[in-house]
Amino acid sequence: MQLLEVQGVSVHFGGLAALRNVSFGVEPGERLALIGPNGAGKTTLFNVLTGQIKPSSGRVFFKGEDITHLPVYARTHRGMARSFQITSLFPYQSVKVNALIALQGVRRSRYNLTRYLMRDKEMQAAAQRLLEAHGLWELRDQIVSSLAYGQQRKLEIALSLASDPELLLLDEPSCGLTAQESAEITALIKELGPKITVVMIAHDMDLVFGVAERVMLLHYGEIVAEGTCEEIRSNEMVREIYMGSRRSLAGPTT
Amino acid sequence: MSGSSENHQSLAEMGAQASKIAAGRETWRVRGSLGITIGVIAIIILVLPSFVPTFVSSLVTKMMIYGLFGMSLNLIWGYAGIPSFGHAAFFGVGGYTAGILILKAGISNFWLNFLLAVLATAVVAAILGFPAFRVFGVGAGATNPIYFLLATIAFGEILSRVAIAIRPVTGGSTGLAGIPEPALGLGFKMTSGRYYYLVFVVTVVCIYLLYRIVGSPYGYALRGIHDNERRMQALGYNTWLYKYTSWVLAAVFGGVAGILFAYFGGIMHPTNLAMVTSDIAFLLVILGSTTVFFGPLVASLLYVGIEYLASLYLPDRWPLIFGAMFVLTIVLVPEGLGVRIVRGWRRLFRAAA
Amino acid sequence: MSQAAVTGLNGLSYAFILFMLSAGFSLTFGVMGVLNLSHGALVVFGTYVGLQIIDSFGQFWLAVTIAAIALGIIGFFIYFLFLRRLHGRVPEQAVLTIGLAYMAANLILWVWGPRAQIAHTPEVFAGSLTVGDLHFPLYRVFICAVGLVILGLLWWIQDRTRWGAIIRAGMDNKEMALSLGVNYPLVSTLVFILGVALAGVAGILGAPILGVYPTMGDNLLLLALIVVVVGGTGYIQGTMLGALVIGMLDTFGKAYVPKAALFFAYIVFIFILLVRPSGLIGRKVF
Repeated sequence: MQLLEVQGVSVHFGGLAALRNVSFGVEPGERLALIGPNGAGKTTLFNVLTGQIKPSSGRVFFKGEDITHLPVYARTHRGMARSFQITSLFPYQSVKVNALIALQGVRRSRYNLTRYLMRDKEMQAAAQRLLEAHGLWELRDQIVSSLAYGQQRKLEIALSLASDPELLLLDEPSCGLTAQESAEITALIKELGPKITVVMIAHDMDLVFGVAERVMLLHYGEIVAEGTCEEIRSNEMVREIYMGSRRSLAGPTT
Repeated sequence: MSGSSENHQSLAEMGAQASKIAAGRETWRVRGSLGITIGVIAIIILVLPSFVPTFVSSLVTKMMIYGLFGMSLNLIWGYAGIPSFGHAAFFGVGGYTAGILILKAGISNFWLNFLLAVLATAVVAAILGFPAFRVFGVGAGATNPIYFLLATIAFGEILSRVAIAIRPVTGGSTGLAGIPEPALGLGFKMTSGRYYYLVFVVTVVCIYLLYRIVGSPYGYALRGIHDNERRMQALGYNTWLYKYTSWVLAAVFGGVAGILFAYFGGIMHPTNLAMVTSDIAFLLVILGSTTVFFGPLVASLLYVGIEYLASLYLPDRWPLIFGAMFVLTIVLVPEGLGVRIVRGWRRLFRAAA
Repeated sequence: MSQAAVTGLNGLSYAFILFMLSAGFSLTFGVMGVLNLSHGALVVFGTYVGLQIIDSFGQFWLAVTIAAIALGIIGFFIYFLFLRRLHGRVPEQAVLTIGLAYMAANLILWVWGPRAQIAHTPEVFAGSLTVGDLHFPLYRVFICAVGLVILGLLWWIQDRTRWGAIIRAGMDNKEMALSLGVNYPLVSTLVFILGVALAGVAGILGAPILGVYPTMGDNLLLLALIVVVVGGTGYIQGTMLGALVIGMLDTFGKAYVPKAALFFAYIVFIFILLVRPSGLIGRKVF
């Protein structure tokens, strides 16, 4: 059974079709990259997968279950997690608190009114493990808004891994990072192991070709090309649509 | 919410400062000194009545009641980021229910009365929570809380008019008067002197409970929702449930303050449900700093003091002074006094190395 | 049955008063995202000033004009001194303007005393319009006429003029409006001032109907609030519709079911919050 199955998903905003009849599947353990020019619908697709947007038509299946209308938070409990293109952290809390909150998200203790979170040995240890795994432990008491952008991006990804997801959706993980920072992210994703399936939106071709087994090209809301890295690299249409316009791409997608 | 709208610079500065203070001995000194100070203050409050004229004790009682009222609002305002402008609705329901139960239903046992009044407040909050959060939206606290604000204002005003209308039950526009001293049972005779201690105990217990809630996993979830609700949802939190339950919790504590108030003054007036009273709550929250746990309590001290002085020298101009407090707070100390006190405290205890 | 027609007129004129009261409030918060909770108190202040002029000089139209101007000036200062710096920080705006409302109400009390003011219908409008068996108070008809003119004017500005287009664009996207070379701060200030001035006019016109006493600001604010939420923000038609619903409900309610009348508006309010939070004709916010 495919881990994720998307069937005929379309999204219309007023008169604008952001996604048209998108269908594809993702096998467990796979590494899939979504590429495409600005406005192609990649983030919209993510929003449908995570439940922030309900599609105008079509269905989404996760582990065989129809999750099309499932609320955002419920999907995380099913094993999905997401990182955001525009860094979405808790700016007025410390790095450690960010980690704690993220770790709690899928635990029953998140409704607990009586424990002292700061004295909960198990949670503190879990937070330490998570932050150390991403090289953020030294920064644990710093308030997030005072961190450098690159550190914030790292935390962004760290938080999305906190729920121990089966499917990880990364939205432009290396957005705005330096070459070295991007290389670190690439290495990190590579080390994630076969228990996690990764679907990634990226503009950084080094990252894409470094990590992905399969690449999908989205253009004006439709999948126009799909294949292995080699196939995509040598695809004429891809070059035209995407590579040609790559020079004008200077940052986050819409 | 107001906490997050401060200029980011000072918070980043604080962040950097906080990082430096974070490890080791400095935290201990700050925390330890805080603990000791709280203990000392508690002791002072306990022994106060023996040394000062009764009107001072009376003021301190009021201060505790209002402080609790403010802190109950801060649970949702400062921590969860829900700026409710109708919190007096719960204060009033608590107080009125206590009064009505004694005067109309003959339930004079304090404990039973208390329980029922708290329950009533919770029920009202549970009901009002639905329309309230219908117009809150996701992360709307950061973008457009106007509708929510207006809705909460309206709730308080509407309840106040309901109180005026159902005269037989609530005493109408003149209010519910003649609420006697609480009867604790076991032949214990309550006097206004002893009431002081009852208020003290209840307030301390409530503050302790609030402290536990705020430091619990649930409490941290509230903070997360305040900072970034969308991310909380993506992390697996049913944010509506948190907002709704914190609303009810805050209402309950506000209701407790209202109950204490009812016994204190012996009278409940429709204005205790209206904006006039809600305004006191959020003045305390904003003056005290939304980001400081004890903030509203400190603000309450200042407020009660100023109110008392005004009643002595400028009784007719009190609303003017009251309004001026709002304006001056926003203009002079928008981040609140609590933040300034904490900063000064830290400086004091870091310097004393 | 014939009585219903007269009640209808009363309801309609009340609706127009509510409309004029609320239009300003709706504009400032629907358009600019600025919450001015001193709206009610300012209206009362303007009404008092106007009544003072009528008392001292007997000039109705002069009073209306001067009150409108006075409020416009006050509105300007409030915006310029305070609200301008609090853009986007709604709770702060709310707290500040509430403070101003208290101060204004107490100042009114200080200057004019606590008793209610008596507002007479201007002589020229005393009497009634007789149609068959029915006697329609002339003053009420006059209010409807004024209201209709103002409604028409505002509607026209909204739909047919550049100003209207700018304001509507600004509602959706302020940066875009700015980048189109619009002097948005100027537009905002003007909208704010106009809103307050219009509300002041409503206060004076409505004085014989609504009554005048120092603490009525709260009441007016609550009414404006309910009208705006029920009708929706962003469109002048919405505010008018909200005013109609509330005005008619309240007036007919008082005429036929006086005890319960008060609550009709509240019930509608809560119902709208639950079922149609963006209002009857409002920009979709939820």
